[in-house]
Amino acid sequence: MAQLIELPKRTAATVESTMTAVTSPLRSLVPDHSVDEWGRDDQLVRLLGPVARLRWNVSVGGAHHLPAKAGALLVTNERRWSFSPLYVSLALSQATGRPVRFVGRPDHAPFGAGLRRVGALLDDPAEIHGALRHGELVVMATSSTNHPRYAGAVDHELVGAAVTARVAVIPVASMSSTFSRAARAEVGPPIRLRTKRRGPLAEIEIAEAAQRHLQRILDELGGVQTGMAAIDFLGEG
Amino acid sequence: MGGELGSLVASLLEQEPWVGSLCGIDVDPPRRRLRKTEFHRIEPSHRERIVDVVTTFDPHVLIHLAVWEPDARAGTAHAKQFTNDATTAILGAAAECPSLEGIVVRSGIEIYGRGRHALTRPDETVAPRPTSEFGRMVERIETVAESVAQRIGVAVGALRLAPVLGPHVPSPLGRLLRQPVVPFSILADPPFAVVEDADAARAFVAAARMRLQQPINIVAPGAITGLQAILRGKRIPLPLVGPEWYLARQMSHLGGAPIPEHVMEVLHRGRLADGGRSLDVLGITPTTSTPDVIDRLFRWESVVRITKPHAVAGTHGVA
Repeated sequence: MAQLIELPKRTAATVESTMTAVTSPLRSLVPDHSVDEWGRDDQLVRLLGPVARLRWNVSVGGAHHLPAKAGALLVTNERRWSFSPLYVSLALSQATGRPVRFVGRPDHAPFGAGLRRVGALLDDPAEIHGALRHGELVVMATSSTNHPRYAGAVDHELVGAAVTARVAVIPVASMSSTFSRAARAEVGPPIRLRTKRRGPLAEIEIAEAAQRHLQRILDELGGVQTGMAAIDFLGEG
Repeated sequence: MGGELGSLVASLLEQEPWVGSLCGIDVDPPRRRLRKTEFHRIEPSHRERIVDVVTTFDPHVLIHLAVWEPDARAGTAHAKQFTNDATTAILGAAAECPSLEGIVVRSGIEIYGRGRHALTRPDETVAPRPTSEFGRMVERIETVAESVAQRIGVAVGALRLAPVLGPHVPSPLGRLLRQPVVPFSILADPPFAVVEDADAARAFVAAARMRLQQPINIVAPGAITGLQAILRGKRIPLPLVGPEWYLARQMSHLGGAPIPEHVMEVLHRGRLADGGRSLDVLGITPTTSTPDVIDRLFRWESVVRITKPHAVAGTHGVA
């Protein structure tokens, strides 16, 4: 005669059903599959988009200079405390539909961990090289300045990562105001040297050329607030 | 060959046309039916017997999988001792084989370490800087294999595996994630990658076939964070900040899922690696993505313990 065995109730199944009931309303806020191979959380970036637009209303120009699929190192100028790599990367990401990462993540929690979720990388040439080699768009900043229309020096060691990864270096002039939301990101054409270099001179010359190109674009931009000033009509006759 | 990964590799090698005969050594018997393989059940400390078996067989290719992950099948101290014993005996014996052409060793991406300013996604060119005991164990295996290979002039390749998960694979990370309540770092919640055992086994077969001569990362595409993995498994997430981790580790140990140093690193600092080179060099890449491996981890049935029914006084039990 067969013995009837009653299987004990599984604890895990009870936990699963409870957790499904608890987390189902929060599922859209805490997705379970949104981190990419560099730790960037696309869902979080999309959620933070409206919050970032409360601070920066970025108008993007020259986005056609960005490669459609290949990687590129985007060099942008930075006024002190302007966080230009952050808003440039968010704006270009929205303009191109591609994830755009930026350099300058501190390696400690919670700030480093939080910035990694919005696409930040360590300021290490090896880290940048790895991302560029995999066809990523990476924004790096020049050294910061006090004036919004001056481009600081470009770190040639970081530019060297682009040279060894054989990707384009593209200047992106950025401008923002401390007091208003207006901000601009103007993408320039990729930097090409007149003389091809095989050695480390390549990265030094590209870094210098990037600074010059940025300065030229900043000069052409003419400031955050463009247009007619309130008393200009007096001069028009 | 007694572990799940070893048995899988052996069963795949048996189907390869270039493989004539196979010989395996392990402390546990194989978990699959192997038709061509000659198996020897030997303790890792019995070096003379291992040397005798290996030199008598005189292989062309040696695949060294005898790595005990801490708290997978043995505690950290025993795991270190078993791994060191097996490495010394097997790689030492390999040096005595005149027909040997190549060695492939099992390593791990724990070798890169997760210290301050460690790269988010290191590739094979990054110098090893292990920060956990398991990382130092696999670094030693690679060092010994390289020194043996240099001395006798054979190719040596290392497959640096992401944490291996799969049905029946003893893994402290898998065991922890399957607990009803799983701790995670609320301040960091970093991303990590894993690899399925079947993908890892295919990589070993490819590496043996081509006599791999360099280290290669074997990492499943995609990444996942601790909290996301917990939510996918519909477990209860337990957010922790810092000091209470000590208590959580002790409680988890009592619950049957010890959290070793390298798993703590995964939960606090993450563990990613660039696996892009495996396709270029080995011609294969892991097919199961990290989120899928995690999903499969939660689909395995739990062990249901059936206790003997108690006989009620005055009645007779049914035999």
